[in-house]
This record gives sequence, C-alpha cells and structure tokens, in this order.
Amino acid sequence: MKKYILNSFIAATILFAASCKPEIETLAGTTAGQANFSKYIAVGNSLTSGFADGGLYLEGQKVAYPNLIAAQMATVGGGAFTSPFFTDAQANGSGYLTLSALVNGSPTLANVTTNLAYRDATHLTKYTGEVQNLGIPGMRVDLAFAAPFSAANPYLERLLTDTQVGTVSYFQFIQGRNHTFFSLWLGNNDALGYATNGGVTTDATNVLTDKSTFALLYSNLVNALTVGGQKGIVGTIPDVTSIPYFNTVTVAALLNAAKAINPAAAAIYIQTGANTSRIATAEDLIRLPFQTAGLFGVPNALGYFYGLDPRNPIANNWVLDRDEVLKVKDYVNSYNSSIMSLATSKGLAIADTYAYLNQIKTGIVIQGVGINSSFITGGAFSLDGVHLTPRGNAVIGNVFIDAINLKYGSTIPSIDITQYRGVKFPDNK
Amino acid sequence: MKKILLSILLSVPFWVLGQGFQVNLQGQKQIGMAGAGSALALDEASIFYNPGAVSFLEKNSVSAGVNPLLFKSVFQQAGSNISENVKNKIAPPFEFYAVWGPKSNKWKLGLGVYTPFGGLVDWGDNWSGKYALTSLNLKAIYFQPTLSIKITDQIGVGAGFVYNHGDVNLQRALPVNYPDGRSGKATLEGTGSGYGWNAGLYIKTLSNVTFALVHKSKVITKLDGGTATFEVPNSLTTSFPAGSTFTAELPLPATTTLGIGIPLSSKTLLAFDASWVQWHIYKDLSFDYSTNTSALADTKSARNYRDGSSLKLGINHQATEKLALRAGIGYAFSPVQDGYVTPEAPDADRYILSAGAGYSFTSKFEVNASMFFEDVKSRTQKNIETGLNGTFKTLVYAPGISLTYKW
Repeated sequence: MKKYILNSFIAATILFAASCKPEIETLAGTTAGQANFSKYIAVGNSLTSGFADGGLYLEGQKVAYPNLIAAQMATVGGGAFTSPFFTDAQANGSGYLTLSALVNGSPTLANVTTNLAYRDATHLTKYTGEVQNLGIPGMRVDLAFAAPFSAANPYLERLLTDTQVGTVSYFQFIQGRNHTFFSLWLGNNDALGYATNGGVTTDATNVLTDKSTFALLYSNLVNALTVGGQKGIVGTIPDVTSIPYFNTVTVAALLNAAKAINPAAAAIYIQTGANTSRIATAEDLIRLPFQTAGLFGVPNALGYFYGLDPRNPIANNWVLDRDEVLKVKDYVNSYNSSIMSLATSKGLAIADTYAYLNQIKTGIVIQGVGINSSFITGGAFSLDGVHLTPRGNAVIGNVFIDAINLKYGSTIPSIDITQYRGVKFPDNK
Repeated sequence: MKKILLSILLSVPFWVLGQGFQVNLQGQKQIGMAGAGSALALDEASIFYNPGAVSFLEKNSVSAGVNPLLFKSVFQQAGSNISENVKNKIAPPFEFYAVWGPKSNKWKLGLGVYTPFGGLVDWGDNWSGKYALTSLNLKAIYFQPTLSIKITDQIGVGAGFVYNHGDVNLQRALPVNYPDGRSGKATLEGTGSGYGWNAGLYIKTLSNVTFALVHKSKVITKLDGGTATFEVPNSLTTSFPAGSTFTAELPLPATTTLGIGIPLSSKTLLAFDASWVQWHIYKDLSFDYSTNTSALADTKSARNYRDGSSLKLGINHQATEKLALRAGIGYAFSPVQDGYVTPEAPDADRYILSAGAGYSFTSKFEVNASMFFEDVKSRTQKNIETGLNGTFKTLVYAPGISLTYKW
C-alpha cells in the first residue's frame, strides 16, 4: 500500500510537471483575408525608408515600419521583402546623430562619421537589385513627378542606373513592380519641408504644395499603384506641430534660460513671416536645431542681444510663427481630406497616423511602455526630432497592420513593440 | 436534518474563495478535499482552518508538509500569434503544525506556521510584458500561536495571534536603452512584517453534523527600507540614484468562512466551505522612494480588488482502517476586476479539483498526500495603467505531502 501511494504520487508529480501547459487559441496569423501579400511594396519618404537620427543607416533601414509589417505579413502568405540595405561595411550609410552625453539633463549630440556609404563627396554607394521598400528620404508628392529630382536626391540616385538618373521620376521608378499589395505614406514633406524651414521657401524642397495640385498628383500615384486592381493602404500626414522638432525649444524655455543669466530679461523676440519683429508667444514654434545653433543671446554690432531685443529678433527661418502654424495645419488638413476621400473611393485601407501621432503627443501607454512626443525621453522620436525610433516604427507599424486587418479581414499578427528600442542613452558618465 | 442542511447549502450566496495571490494549501487532508474542512476536526491543520475545532482533536500531534506548486501561465498579446509562458519555477508553500494539551482537560495549545499568501512568477527578462513585470517572488509566512477551548461537548472556540513575515522581490524592465539596445531594469526587494489574528467557532450538533464560523483578520504588511536597484546606462544614474530605498505596504485580506461537515456514514465525511475574502483592502500597490527624481517618482498603481469568494466541497472516506481517500471540487471568484489584471497575478475565476490519500503506518505515524489542481479561466484584458493588452490563461498544479506524528 505504501509503495502504491508513493509511486502514484511520484508519477502524478512528474506527469504534471512535464506536461499540461496552458494554451491560448489564436486566430492571428492565419488568413490574408481579401488581400494578397505575396509581393508588398512600400512607397513613401524618409519615414518609409527607415531614416532616423538625421540619417539613413542600416539599423534604421532594418526596422523601418514597412519591414516590420512585411515580417508579420509573412505568417499570412506574405513573400520576401527586399530593401536597399547598406552593406555591413558601410552600415552607417549617410551618417547619423548619436547621443554622446547628458550634461545636467541637456543632450550632447555627435555625428557618426565612420563606415559611411559615400562613393564621393555627395553621392552614396549605388544599390542594384530588387527593391520593395521604395521609401526615399526627402520625397514629396509634387517632386515625385519631377525627373530632375532623381539626380538631386542622393537616396533615389543610388537606386537608379546612370542613364535613369535625372530622366526617370520617382513616379516612374515605383511603377512596373508587379506588386500585389502596397502601402503609400507620402506627402509629409509637402508640408514639413516648409515648416522645418521656418515657413520660409528657398527652393523646391520647402515649397508648400498647392492643395489642388496635391490632390491631383496623389490620385495619379494611387491610380498607378492600383492599376492592376491591387489592394493597399495609405497613411495620413501627421500634424507637424505634434513632433518634438517643434516642441522642444519652447519660448518659455528660452526665456527661462535668458532669465538665469539676466533676471531683467522680459521677452523673446522673433521675426515673423510678415517680416515684423514681435514678442514671441507659446503659439510660436522654434525649430529644434536652434538650441545648438549658438545664436541665442549673442549681441550684434550694436550690442542688441539676439532674440532678446526687438532690434535683433530670432530670424524668420528659425521660427514657425503662429500664422505659419495655422497655415501648415490648414494645408495638412486639406491634404488629408484628399488622401482619405481618394482612399475611400478606391476601397483602400487608411492608417490614420495624423490622429495617432496626435494621441502620442498627449502620451499613451502601450504594453507597459509610456510613449510621448518629448524629445529623447518620449521614446517615439529619434534624435532629429522628426523621424521615428525603432519603437516608434513598431508602434506605427501596428497602426498600419490594424487598419489593413480591419479593411481586408486579414489577421496579420501585431508587432511586439517591446522588442524595439527608444533612444539609446550613453553608458559613460 | 440532512435535507435542511442541503437547502442551506444551496442557498448560500456565491461567496468566493478569493484568489489573487492567496495560496489555499494549508493541510494535506483539507487540500485533498479542495480546501474544505473548517467544520471538521480532522487534524492539527485546524489551527489554520478553524482554531475552534482544535480542542476537539483527540490526540496531540506535530506535522509538517510541503506543496511544490507549479504556476503555469501563458500570455498572448492582443493580435499576436506568439504565446509566452512563465518559466518553470517551483514555489514551496509549506505548513507546520503542533497541537498539545493535557488529555483530561478541555483546552489545547497550538502553533501553526504556514504560507497563506505568495506568488512566484517569472516571465523572463525579454517577454512582451517585460515593462510591466519580469518576475515576482512574494512570500508571506504566518506564525500563529493558538489557544482552543471546548466550552461544552458541542461547542469549541479558539483564537490565534498571527505574526507575518513578508518577503518580496519584484523585477521589471525599464524602457530606457543602453547603446547596445538592451533595456534597463529595476529590482525592488524587501522584507516586512504585520500582525493579525485568527478565530473560530466549532459546533457539533447531536446528529453529528458540524458547523464552523471562522474569521482570519487582515494583515497589513509593511515594508520599510526595501532596496531599489536600477540598472540603467551610466548617463542616467542621476535620474535613477544608486542606494535608493523604498517603503511599501501590502495588505493581506481578511477571510470569513462558513463551514458545514456532514457524516454520510461512519466512514465518510462530507465537508463544505464557503469563504469570503475581503480583498477590497488591496486598493493599490505603492512604492515610496527615498529619493525622487524627474524620472523616478513615487508610484501608486491601482489594483482596486473587490472581495473574492469561493465554494469548496470535499469528501473524506476511510477506506480501510489505515487508508483514507479524499476528493474535492471547488469554484473561486476572482477579486481582480476588469482592467486591473496584471502579470504578477493574472487572475480569473477558477475551477478547483483535488484528490488525496492518507495512510497510517502505526497509530502514531501518518503520511498524507494530495494533488491540487486549479484551472484558471482564460481572460482577455487591457490593463488600464500599463496598457498591457492580451490574454492570460493559467493552470496550477500542486502535489503535496506531509508527515504527522501523533501521541
């Protein structure tokens, strides 16, 4: 009897310890729904290419949101997804910014200048071969139709043959790729280029694209991508005022800095787009690079301190003033209504990144990670204050996946955002 | 009489065996009966189950037992196709009881040392919920000296003083990244103590049907001077200062149990327990750090437990003079409300199944073994605080064995 009890007890213990794992039944990753992901192409700008920290480099390319989406699509019949990756030997691509130190909480940024991918002073090493991530940093809806731009833009230039350079437009470049599914997230730069130049237009990359021109050209893009009846997804354009580039160097912060040196400092003065000098308010947005430009508070020949005197205001190109903010917002809203009505009429999925990034500006918590639009600490935006971190890409990737699943009844599994980093902090003191 | 009892049984409101991180493994015989037995004067484990029944024990005894517990939980993020399992770790709930009293007298003294609350979950350092929790090791050890008095041949009362020694180690990843991309980590570790009591009433009717009313008080366990260790990139050490300490408080809930014991025959006993666990005192889990920085604020995470309850039905059958066989079933209602499910206690309503056996080698020496199984229902939740969104499913296995010496 004793033996019997002991034996059965031991047997039961072993049995339970070894087996009987709990299981969860899952539907994710089983069906493509009404879509066909066997050949996915991604059309877009720097965000699509994986540009981050002020540069395009291999680590960023690998975690570009289309690459993350494509990896998830693989479980529902998605095929291979090729990107114009830099080689390991030239992994740092165009070069990029790193955070080299935090001094009293203030970041010190440094340029990575090793293992770059330049074949001469201005041209990147050519890439040949199949490309499905067609994201080109700096690409705009209007310039997508300008053949000369393919010579001016080094990121597009590196993907073209010598005979194509300057003669083939981006619009032509993305066609004829026999895709079955596409994503199109383009148009940010049609507003952002103007905004990041402080509302000053100096060349074709910082023009504010005319609203009706945008609608027309965008529909040309969508028509080309759906020419074979392909399904796809479009992304809306984020509100430029939601990014850290315009929310880090605030008027209040500048004034506090000035007061710390001279308690008599009373106001910050800016030069507006209308070329007048006035006191800055919280509604005027100062560009992120201003904090390292070394201009603030420096006296001019007449002894007026830069930004602290109406006779030496912060120059127009450093500030997206209140009126310019309203103008940019108005254009973005117009672009987005064009994008949405076009996508709706074509039956395409819509990733509303405009709405989502506005949410992130307020701050959200996903899988235990707080994410917001604060520079460096927010986790979503990289060191240039415009482009996403790997974590930010994963979060946006899920916005696309959710929209695709919703529209096409597919079950592409979501991306585990906790596997992707935010800003890297230096490990030196 | 039995009919009346049955109707009482059926009319008992659905009180629950509150779960959360309550561990219902305190005596091999009772575990074999799904944890029922407050109304049975079965053995020295009555020190825990009902101090009032202790004076009805015929012999003096000491016993010690252990229940290696396997907590097998799996998580799947919303929309994901990847299941993540907790690591196989064996938690060691244990129990020790001693009962002594002069044979001729109507009182007995007892001492119980047992682990009524605890948790051991290790999800690993790189699972998808790592920023909410990577591991928790929580132990509460109650020391309970007890006095039990037989007021009449029908009524016994008893009470014990409870001292709790608590131990906690909680780890999670921090969403700040080293240059190589890996995450930072926080480890909170501390010990604390608390006090409470346990009192019970045992009534034996003329028909030998027994009743129990037992209350175990809440025990607020305070952790003072716990150590908070942060592994972060060096550039962030001013934000996460070394040598940080913290204070925290872990309220362990009161439990009220109503029990009935019914002799079906001279050899077979039926026991039914309904328990109500006042988990509502667990409102939040707060950490108050000795040094606060802009990155390290005191935290107050809402838990908002509601009261839990359980129903347990067990049977004890004396198959031969030396061998007893036991079985039990139960159901417990979770105290964790929607929106507050966490990986530290991925709780849900659960079914309980148990079996057990006891063997008396001599009149003095006895071995009891049990097998306890809980099927915690699958629960899909998005946590309000952390946003952790997904489905948890848990199975609990706890084989157990104890040795008893009686005289």
